[in-house]
Amino acid sequence: MASTSVQEISTLDSILASCREIAQDPEFSSAKRWLAEHPGKKAIGCFPIYCPIELIHASGMLPLGVIGAGNQIEITHADSRFQSFVCSIVKSTLELGLTQRLKFLDGMMFHSICDPARNLASVFQRNFPDMFVEYIHFPQNFASVLARQYLETEYRRILEGLQKRSGHAPTAEDFNRSIGLYNRIRAALRKIYQIRTDTPHLISAAESFVLTRAGTLMAPEDSLKILEQVLAEIPARPSRPKDRIRVVLEGSFCELPPVGLIETLEEAGCYILDDDFLRGWRWFTEDVPIQDNPLAALAESYSERAYYSGTKHDTRETKAAHLIRLVREKKADAVVFQAAKFCEPALFDYALYRKALEDAQIPHLLLEFEEKTWSFDRARSEAETFVESLLFD
Amino acid sequence: MAQAQTAAKTDYQGRIHNLQKDMIGRYYSRLTAAAENKSEKAIYMLISGNPVELTEAFGLIPVYPEVNALQLAVKKQSLPLILAAEEMGYSTDNCAYVKADVGMYFAGRKTPFATIPEPDLILCNYVGCNVYLQWFEHLAEYSKAPIYNLDVPFFRTTSDDPSEEDVRYVVKQLEELVEVLERMTGQKLDYKKLQRIVELSGETGALWSEIKKLTMERPAPYDAYFDSVMMMAPLYCLRGTEDGLWFFQETYKEMKKRADSHEGPLPEEKFRLVMEGPPPWPYLRQFRDMFSRWGAVAVASTYSTVGGIWEFGFRHDPLRPLESIARHMLQWNMTNRNFRQRYQQIKKYVEDWKADALVIHSVKSCRLFSAGQGDMREYFSKQLGVPTLLIESDLEDPRYFSEAQLRNRVDAFFEALEHQKMVAAK
Amino acid sequence: MTYGGGVDVGSTQTKAIILSDDRRIVGRSLINTGANVSQAAERSFREAAASAGIAPEKVAYVVGTGYGRYKVNFGNAQITEISCHARGANLLFPNTRTVIDMGGQDAKGIRVGENGDVKDFVMNDKCAAGTGRFLSNAAETVGLSLDKIGPISLEAKKPVRLSTVCAVFVESDIMSYLAEGKTVPDILGGVHSAIAARTVALVRRVGIEPEITFTGGVSRNIGMVKALEEKLGLRVNVCDDSHFIGAIGAAIFALERALGGETGTGSGKANPVAAPPASQPAAGAH
Repeated sequence: MASTSVQEISTLDSILASCREIAQDPEFSSAKRWLAEHPGKKAIGCFPIYCPIELIHASGMLPLGVIGAGNQIEITHADSRFQSFVCSIVKSTLELGLTQRLKFLDGMMFHSICDPARNLASVFQRNFPDMFVEYIHFPQNFASVLARQYLETEYRRILEGLQKRSGHAPTAEDFNRSIGLYNRIRAALRKIYQIRTDTPHLISAAESFVLTRAGTLMAPEDSLKILEQVLAEIPARPSRPKDRIRVVLEGSFCELPPVGLIETLEEAGCYILDDDFLRGWRWFTEDVPIQDNPLAALAESYSERAYYSGTKHDTRETKAAHLIRLVREKKADAVVFQAAKFCEPALFDYALYRKALEDAQIPHLLLEFEEKTWSFDRARSEAETFVESLLFD
Repeated sequence: MAQAQTAAKTDYQGRIHNLQKDMIGRYYSRLTAAAENKSEKAIYMLISGNPVELTEAFGLIPVYPEVNALQLAVKKQSLPLILAAEEMGYSTDNCAYVKADVGMYFAGRKTPFATIPEPDLILCNYVGCNVYLQWFEHLAEYSKAPIYNLDVPFFRTTSDDPSEEDVRYVVKQLEELVEVLERMTGQKLDYKKLQRIVELSGETGALWSEIKKLTMERPAPYDAYFDSVMMMAPLYCLRGTEDGLWFFQETYKEMKKRADSHEGPLPEEKFRLVMEGPPPWPYLRQFRDMFSRWGAVAVASTYSTVGGIWEFGFRHDPLRPLESIARHMLQWNMTNRNFRQRYQQIKKYVEDWKADALVIHSVKSCRLFSAGQGDMREYFSKQLGVPTLLIESDLEDPRYFSEAQLRNRVDAFFEALEHQKMVAAK
Repeated sequence: MTYGGGVDVGSTQTKAIILSDDRRIVGRSLINTGANVSQAAERSFREAAASAGIAPEKVAYVVGTGYGRYKVNFGNAQITEISCHARGANLLFPNTRTVIDMGGQDAKGIRVGENGDVKDFVMNDKCAAGTGRFLSNAAETVGLSLDKIGPISLEAKKPVRLSTVCAVFVESDIMSYLAEGKTVPDILGGVHSAIAARTVALVRRVGIEPEITFTGGVSRNIGMVKALEEKLGLRVNVCDDSHFIGAIGAAIFALERALGGETGTGSGKANPVAAPPASQPAAGAH
C-alpha cells in the first residue's frame, strides 16, 4: 500500500530530507498523491491539538494534520477575518481554506483548545458550507469519572458524522486494528524520543520534528514504515556528542515552529531532550489498550494515559509538577519555554511555570515564535546568551 | 450635514441607577465582612452560565472575579494591578481581567469598594470561555483552595437544543457538586429552598426579558448597552434572591413608565444600534459620549447576555431545578454558544429591535468575544447589508484605548450613515 | 463667485485648498504642521487664499479635516478625512470606487459610491506597519532619501522576503539582509512588496472594486504604485495632487454648504429623521 517514493528511499539522511520536504509543503502533495492512488478514499483534516484519529481511520478515511501553513504562504485573505492579536496558525489555516487548498478534504475536525480555535471552527462552517466541519468538546473535569463516560458518548456522536461521509460503520475489530496501528507509530516515536534523551547526538529535535510532522501528512502505514527504518539506522549513525546544555522544551503544542528555528536553538548550544511538538499526535504515554469497548479505551486513555498539555486542566496536579518531574527524569539543565506569539494557553501557563521553576531553581528561557519566520537571528542571540550563562556558570 | 449634537445629559441617572449602586454596595459590604470576620463561606464563580441557585441554597456568598475586575477598571484602578501581574510573568497578550484580578489577589485582595474574601471553594463553570479554566486554575494554585471544574459541553451542533447526553452529563456533575457542597458546609441540600431560589431566578429572568423588550419602542427608554451593563450587576450578584427580584420589579416599572411617556436617554434618538462586545470599562463615559453626540442609542447588546439570555423564552424552572440550571449553562448564555449562533442572535436583534447598524467593539483581552469578528463584520455588512462598524480597544487595560482614533472611526461611520439617511429620505 | 475652503491638518503636514463654485482648485498651500496646530491651520488657509488672489474672508465656508480638525478654529464644520478623501478622489477621478490612502502614520481603504459617498471603510492606525513610517525607516536604514527608494525598488531582481512588517523591526531585518550581501534594490523591492501585500489585505476587508485611486503622501512613490498594481492585478489612479485629496474633499463639502445657503454659523443642515430606516439601508449599503 505504500507509495513508490518510500521504497526508493534507503538512507537515513534521504529519509529525513524527504520528510522535511513533506513537512514544509503547504499543498499536501504527498497526501494528494496517495489519495489519487487510492480512488474513493477520503481524507479528514485535523486541527491541533488532539484528534481521535483512530475514529477517522477506522471509518476508512485518512486523517491528516492541518496545522497552519508554516512560512510558505502569504496571509492575504484571512487577515480580514481575524485580528492582529490572534495567533498565526488560526489565520494561516483559514487562509489555506480561503485559497482552496483544503478542497481535497472531506472535512475538518476542531476542538476546544482555546477561544480563537473554537471560533475558527464556526468561521470555517460559515465560509465553507459544503465542508463537513465537526467540533469535539473534550472534558475538563478530570477529577470526575463522569468525564470519561461523557467522552465516550461524544466519540459516538463524532462517529455518526464520520459515517455519513464514509458510508462505513466501523466494528470493534476495525477500531482495534486502527488503534493497534497508531499504537505502533506512537511507540516508535516514543523510542525516538527516548534516544534523544539517552544519546541526543544521534538524532536531533529538528529531525524528529520533521519525522513526526511528515507522519501527519501521509498514510499511517507509510509513516510506520519510515519510522521503523529510521530506528534501524540510527544506532549506526556516525555522530559525536557535542558540548551542549540539556534542555526540555515546552509550549509549542499547537502552532508549529519553523524547522529553522529548532535548528537554530540546537546550533546555539542546546540538546533538546524532549518537547511537545505535535503533542496531539503523540498524546499517549503508552499503548491504548485493545479491549472489547475500543471507544471506552480511547476515552479513558485521553485522560489517564496522556502526556501533559497546556490545554488540559487536570486539577489533580499543579500545572508545573509534570515539567519539574520531566526535567529531573531527563537530567536536563534547563527549560526552554517556546510559546507561539499570542498563544493564550501557553502564555498563561508560563506565569505558573516561571514561579515553580524559580522555586525549584531550574533555569529557563522564554521565547516567543511565529510560524511565519525566515530569519532566526534574534532567537539565536537569545538562545546563545542563555547557553553561555549556563555553560560559564 | 455632519454635525454631531452636544447632548447635555447622555446617561440615564434615575432612581434605578442609585438603587443599583446601593444594592451592589451592600453586596460588597457583605464580601468585606466575610473577608474580615470569616463570617460566611465564599465560593468563586464565573458570571456566564453558573449554578448560583445551588450555591445560594447552601448559603454561600458568590464571589465573581469578573465583576471585581470590571469594577477596578471602572474606578481606574486596574493598570497598576495589571502591571504587577505582568511582572509576575503574565503576558501583555493575556486577558487583562485575569491580570487585574491576580494583581488584586496579591495586593491583599483589597479594593476601593471591598475586601474580597479568600475562596473556600473555587467553582469553575466552564461555559465556552477557555480562559475561565486558566483563571481559576491559577487562583486555585495561589489560594490553595479546592477547585471543582464544572464541565459544560460547548453548544457545538446546529440543532436547536443541546443533546440529552449533554444535559445528563451536566446534571450528574451538579449532583456531584451537591455532594461537595454538603461536605463543605456540613448541611444537607434543602431541596425546597433550592426550588424557591430557582423560582426567584425564573421570575427575575422573566422581568429582565420584559425590560429588554422595552427597547423595541421608539425612542428606546434606556440605552441597551451602556445602561444595560449597569443594570446587569444585580442580575449576577443577586440572582435567586428576594432583593434581586425586587430590583428588577422596580426597574421594569421605571422603564415601562419611560417607554409609555416616550422618554429616551437622549434628547433625540437618531440612530438605533446593536452593540457587540464588552465595553471599555476604564473609559465608559468617553465611549458613551462618542455615540451620544450622534444621537445614537443601543437597542440591544450581546454583552448584556453573557450571564444569561432570557429574551428568547428560557426560564429557570422550579419543578426541574437541576435540569433547568443545566440548560441555562449549556444553552442560555452567550459564551457557551458558538460564533455562528451569536451571528443569529445579533441578526434577530437587528431585525426585531429595528436597528440601523451594528457596532462591533473588539477587545484585545477577550478572544472569546473578539477572535474572528472580522468574519462577523463581513457577514453583516456584505451578506446582510447591515452597516457595520468595527472598532478596537480593551475592556480592562486602559493602555489600549485611543480616543482620537476611535472618535475618528465613529465619526466617519455616522457621517456616512447620516448621509445615507438623507438620501433615503429624499 | 462663491468659494469653499478645506483645511486638512495632518500630524506632519497641513494642506489647504480653495475651490471656486465651478469646482476648480484656485488656491492651495502645503506647510509643516509643527507644534502649534491651530496656527498651522490658520497659516495654511491664509496662504491658500493668497495663492488664489482672494481675501480669506471671501471664502464662504470652511471645513476642517484630518486629525487636527478640531483645531481649525476658524472653520465652520469638522468632517473626518475618510469622508473627505472619498469626495476628493471622486472629484479628481469620477470613476473611483475604491480609495487606498497611505499616509505617514496610517493606511485606509475606502469604498466609494458614484457620488463620492462613503460606502465602507477600514483603517489601520494602531500600528505603523504598512505606512509611510515603514518606508522612512527603511530608507534611513539603507541610507537613501525617501524620494529615491521608490525608483530604486523597481530595479529589484529578486526581492527579499521580510519576516516582519513592524516598522521598528524592519531596520534589523534590513541590516541582516545587507550583511548577507543582498542588494539594495532587492531589499527595497521586498520592502515595497511587503507593504503592498499588507495594504491590499487591509483594503480587501471593504472589497476592492475598480477604479482604484491611490492617495496620500506615499502615492507619490512610484515603487509603491507599481507594487500595489502588481498585488491587485489592477491599475491604480494617481495624480500630483494626491497630497491634497483630503483638503479637496473638505473644500467640496464646504462649497456644497455655501451653495446650499448655509452661512457657516455651525448649525449644520437640518436633518429630518424620516420614516424609520429599514435594517437594510438604501442601495449600496455598508
